[in-house]
Amino acid sequence: MTAPLLEVRALSTGYGRTPVLHQISIELGQHRRIGLIGPNGHGKTTLLRAISGLIAPWSGDIFLEGISIAGADPAKIVAAGLIHVAQANALFPHMTVAENLRLGAYNKRARAKSGETLDQVYALFPKLRERRRQDCRTLSGGERQMVSIGAALMAQPQILMLDEPTLGLSPKLKTELCSAIERISESGVPTIVVEQDINFMLRLTDYFYLIHQGQVTAEFRADQSLDNQKIMDMYLGLD
Amino acid sequence: MAWIDAILAAAQPILVSGIVLASLYALMATGLALVWNTLGIFNFSHGIFMTLGAFVAWQFADARGYGLGLSVGIAVSVAALAGLGVLFNRVLIAPFLGRKDIVLVAVMTTLAGAFFLENSALLTWGPRIKQLERILPGNIKLMGSAISLHEFLIIILAPLVLLALWAFLKWTRPGSAIRAVGQNRDSALLLGIRVNAIYALTFAISAALAGGAGVLLGAIRFITPTMGTEPLLKAFIVVILGGLGSFGGTIVSAYLVGFMEAISTYFFGAYWTQAVMFGLFIVILVVLPRGLMGRD
Amino acid sequence: MAQPERFIWPLVLVCLAALPLVNADSYLRHVVIVCLLYASLVSSWNLTLGVAGLFNFGHMAFFAIGAYAAAITTQTFGLSPWIGFPIAVASSLVASVVICLPVLRLKGIYVVLVTFAFGQLCYQVVLNQRDITGGTFGIVSIPPLELFGYSFAENLNLGYYYAALILLVLSTAYVKRLIASEFGRSVIALRDNETYAVSRGVAAARNRLLIFAASGLFPGAVGALYAFYVRSASPDLFGFSLITLGLSMLLVGGIGTLWGPLIGAAVLTVVSELMADLGPARYLVIAVMIVAVLRFFPGGLAGAGLPLARLFRRVTGKPLEQET
Repeated sequence: MTAPLLEVRALSTGYGRTPVLHQISIELGQHRRIGLIGPNGHGKTTLLRAISGLIAPWSGDIFLEGISIAGADPAKIVAAGLIHVAQANALFPHMTVAENLRLGAYNKRARAKSGETLDQVYALFPKLRERRRQDCRTLSGGERQMVSIGAALMAQPQILMLDEPTLGLSPKLKTELCSAIERISESGVPTIVVEQDINFMLRLTDYFYLIHQGQVTAEFRADQSLDNQKIMDMYLGLD
Repeated sequence: MAWIDAILAAAQPILVSGIVLASLYALMATGLALVWNTLGIFNFSHGIFMTLGAFVAWQFADARGYGLGLSVGIAVSVAALAGLGVLFNRVLIAPFLGRKDIVLVAVMTTLAGAFFLENSALLTWGPRIKQLERILPGNIKLMGSAISLHEFLIIILAPLVLLALWAFLKWTRPGSAIRAVGQNRDSALLLGIRVNAIYALTFAISAALAGGAGVLLGAIRFITPTMGTEPLLKAFIVVILGGLGSFGGTIVSAYLVGFMEAISTYFFGAYWTQAVMFGLFIVILVVLPRGLMGRD
Repeated sequence: MAQPERFIWPLVLVCLAALPLVNADSYLRHVVIVCLLYASLVSSWNLTLGVAGLFNFGHMAFFAIGAYAAAITTQTFGLSPWIGFPIAVASSLVASVVICLPVLRLKGIYVVLVTFAFGQLCYQVVLNQRDITGGTFGIVSIPPLELFGYSFAENLNLGYYYAALILLVLSTAYVKRLIASEFGRSVIALRDNETYAVSRGVAAARNRLLIFAASGLFPGAVGALYAFYVRSASPDLFGFSLITLGLSMLLVGGIGTLWGPLIGAAVLTVVSELMADLGPARYLVIAVMIVAVLRFFPGGLAGAGLPLARLFRRVTGKPLEQET
């Protein structure tokens, strides 16, 4: 059995003196589309931030293709291809869509291919091509999310982590974005998605973890014949 | 019609001195604004950077220093100030960036830094006044009044430098990275931008701009350890008036302030002008905390 | 509260009071007087900077205004210095209210800039009104304070010594009482969590005005005494150097602690005097001290940190609000 693509092993961390994650473990490898679900404030975002290097772990480890990246410099993690799209991200509000996307290809690996990738991003999100000369702060929530994801794609991700990509969007936009993410997965990029919407979660992932109070309390395969209602009950019953 | 003549007669020297002042303020204020926009701190040492720019240039250029000529002096000065900016960031800003009260802490560390550097300058070069050579000797006639070529050069050079800076920020990778870091540090990190290096670069550019302004000023004013204090305070006024966060606002405001000062000095004299400018500063801050074009 | 603590400060006070009786070194006397004056000055700065959490950088200007008010009253207008004192205090109070008005609803860096600009504004006015203030040269040759024929300068400035000591005791007691009062608590509440405090009925603007005014009371008196002691008032008092020096005392001693300013003033004055031979170089040391304290001992000597500081801490370290 080969080493998993990304492995978080017994990770504990928090902010200041407040612990948030308690020896949490998840794995991306056997399943190439995994999800994190759970109530707000219970550590999903913190976990992603620890993986991408924005927060330092207190204990435990994180392995990217077998190499430890716990506490590594975010720039190195990006260079290795692990790209994190943060939640409700306004990216760079006073720069145009085109500038934002171009910045996505900042890292060396991505720079060479940036022209080609830009075309792919515009193909995926035609609205962005229309608005490419507009400042990001003038865009709607949905369009901003597209820019965030687009910039992440420009970075040539080997693994893509999305934190609540459809948060705060209208149902129509949610579906649109969900389809786009499905297409990204289909193109072969392994993904970790944090989502509140169970239905989307089931569409976008093969396997997901239920995170409650900084710990994994349940794991499911998305194709298990568990119906949505049961999962919702488990999910809501925890609060 | 005599009053029209009077206005016209007054207009020329006012216009000229106004533009010269404005050009220098634009250089100073832009450096200050750059650091504020990118790092979120207000650098109280910006004035001493200007002073040191003049001193270092003098040291290398003047016969009583190393006598290597003005070109060498200027080149060394700009390079040295850029290096100083990097060092400054490393020692006085970077270690404190995580703190909640970083703005206040940075005021204190940069104030301490200014204190340190000003007294170092005093120790190294002494209080006796010095002056740099003008870049271009002689005068020319501009709009009917004579102005030194050096001052004329300032008027031309400042917008060119600022244009170059703008182009750098807009079109180059490191320039875009600087803008990005100022707008969303986390996103910049997540795209692989080395934020610490960007901070160092920003400080280097800021210090070099101040140093350059110092070199230009050093030829038309006297070089003393405290020569940068007043320009620093003017830069404060310019940056706030223009609105923190707006590059264009800073430049517009620099020219406005330069002219206001020139007009006021002509009609009310230098001493009152200073007081009036500060009073104006306070009023602006109260009425329009975001300045003319601010967006923070 | 541990037993030793309760005795240390009264002990220090007794020592200070007794010092002139056992020591006749005029230089030491001078150093201690300056130290006492700085301590009073800086302790009221704690009210805005430390307790209210407001970045008031005009505090030193209150002091300078007090000094000039006293000097002008006596020299330019020829009145008695004992009229100079209340005028100095009044001027400082007025200044503190005036400076507060623009920053009533401002935050963070804007408060720094406005209060700082105010100080510079005063400086410019002082330079300008040469006839009244002596311009760049300031006011000199102020005669020494006299009370019923007894000159304060007699016996190696004995009168000034005790005046400074009394002023320090008064200002410290004042700060202490203020913090313990209901007003003090509301200021602290505002600092710690403004939205919550306001929702509980604390009037933010009024509070801010009052704390500024409260902090402006003593600097005027200290300024006056200082002017009468050094017998002059110069524009330097408005400069960067004094602000930096005062700030360093607050930082080294510990912002927001009751005894921090005293410790800070003592340390800095001693250090400054010890290094007097070095000339401007001593300012380099002070600058380094500021940064070092900020970096490694954010609580100052009266806060957490060194083992020596831990000794201090047992005696002094509690934040102002816990002192009472």
